Amino acid sequence: MSTQTSEIKAILSTSPSPYWYLRDGYKYLLALFAVCAMYVGIRLYQGAYAMDTGLDSTMPIFDVYWRRLFYIEITFEVIFVIAVASYLWLTRDKHMQALSIREEITRYFTFIMWGGVYGMAVYWAGSYFGEQDNAWHQAAVRDTPFTPNHIVVFYLGFPLYTILGMGLWLYARTRLPLYEKKISVPLTLAVVGPFMLLPSVGYNEWGHTFWFREELFASPVHYGFVISVWFALALEGTILQIIARMSVLLDKFALENQ
Amino acid sequence: MVSQSTAISRAAEIAKISRTFDFILLIPILLVIIGTYHLSMILTVGDWDFWLDWKDRQWWPIVTPLMGISFPAAIQYGLWKHLRLPIGATVCTVCLLLGMAITRWFAYHLWTNYPINLVLPATLIPGALLLDFVLLTSRSFFVTAILGGMLFAAVFYPANWAIFAPFHQPVEYNGSLMTLADVSGYSYIRPGVPEYLRIIERGVLRTYDTYATPLSAFCAAVLAVPLYALWSYIGKLFSTTRFIDKF
Repeated sequence: MSTQTSEIKAILSTSPSPYWYLRDGYKYLLALFAVCAMYVGIRLYQGAYAMDTGLDSTMPIFDVYWRRLFYIEITFEVIFVIAVASYLWLTRDKHMQALSIREEITRYFTFIMWGGVYGMAVYWAGSYFGEQDNAWHQAAVRDTPFTPNHIVVFYLGFPLYTILGMGLWLYARTRLPLYEKKISVPLTLAVVGPFMLLPSVGYNEWGHTFWFREELFASPVHYGFVISVWFALALEGTILQIIARMSVLLDKFALENQ
Repeated sequence: MVSQSTAISRAAEIAKISRTFDFILLIPILLVIIGTYHLSMILTVGDWDFWLDWKDRQWWPIVTPLMGISFPAAIQYGLWKHLRLPIGATVCTVCLLLGMAITRWFAYHLWTNYPINLVLPATLIPGALLLDFVLLTSRSFFVTAILGGMLFAAVFYPANWAIFAPFHQPVEYNGSLMTLADVSGYSYIRPGVPEYLRIIERGVLRTYDTYATPLSAFCAAVLAVPLYALWSYIGKLFSTTRFIDKF
């Protein structure tokens, strides 16, 4: 018995860490924390300055507190999208067919973690700041498409999750054999659909500029957002693809070294 | 014997990997449901759910469940059909209520200073529990569409009655008879939805007096049946696992 125990210990000691598949776990927690910290910080900034400096877009102080934030966001997004796309493409796996089972399982974990960061960005943009926009419209008469909340939800929230969604798609394309040669319909829909919220901003602002100023939230000027967001349901198909592949991988993993 | 121990150890490791994967998978699923279902609801139901004085007897009990059945039906299809999990509708509505409650407190109450009573969210959870229950017991999307869909919409008003009834008490204010909800609404000016845009108690249905609400609930129940079927079908379309070779 002692021999068996020592042999099992020996086997385990030669194995990688017991949580080898959570290789990117710390990065994941850090990314979730970073997204939350950024949005909480922005919400505190809104709470501190929006009522004092964000009510009248013609005031010089509006430029200082809000348009400057807008320019910072746009600069950050340009740098971020280039960095994400370049990193994922330049470090792509060129020998995916030689991928070990352990490595592929680990990559699926990382893929889902990336999805978690994407989900967090979707939550802040679609749920929190999406509805907070109504709170602001009911407290202040709009005189610009660049309100203190629009600058956050339209020009940071939507682009950020779009970039993360693009990264999710690219990660699958460049690191997972299942997505290497073919294009996943549900993954593409789940990423492209919510991205369409971004062009819908144009329709929305046009509607409010030339059609009616009021913010009846169920009005047709918002239907572009609604139809786009429904495409997130394609997450179902994506998850089914992932689960099916993980099931195959775990079966192979069980047979490995037998 | 040693190889048997190794096999057991490997099986335990696989079980651990599988469970960890499920747990990690839950995070994006729940976050995306909160973000997208909530956004869909605020842009279709919108002010009927935001404001206490929009929660009337005619439009609120119709619009909310009919728009609200969308994600529950679609997600329920995928979870039941492929994973045999009868919790899709309940998960969606819990996520929705969580997302709404956070925003109502931190955005409306703490930022723009509306009293929390004025912006209390309604709940779809009781109807969703019934929808999942009907699917679990009948194991049929057809029965769930007819019975579950009807129940989802029909119980909406009674399920929320305990929350909102106190605000429907009559009050005389400046010589006019109105509800406490109306007075709350008049007290807090909302330039985005002025009074002429408040769509409540419109149409001849109000001539039915006390029958207005049951009629609205029944109308919603009937319309929820085809809408459930439509959204289940949309859920089926989005559950595709297809790949294409190129764009």
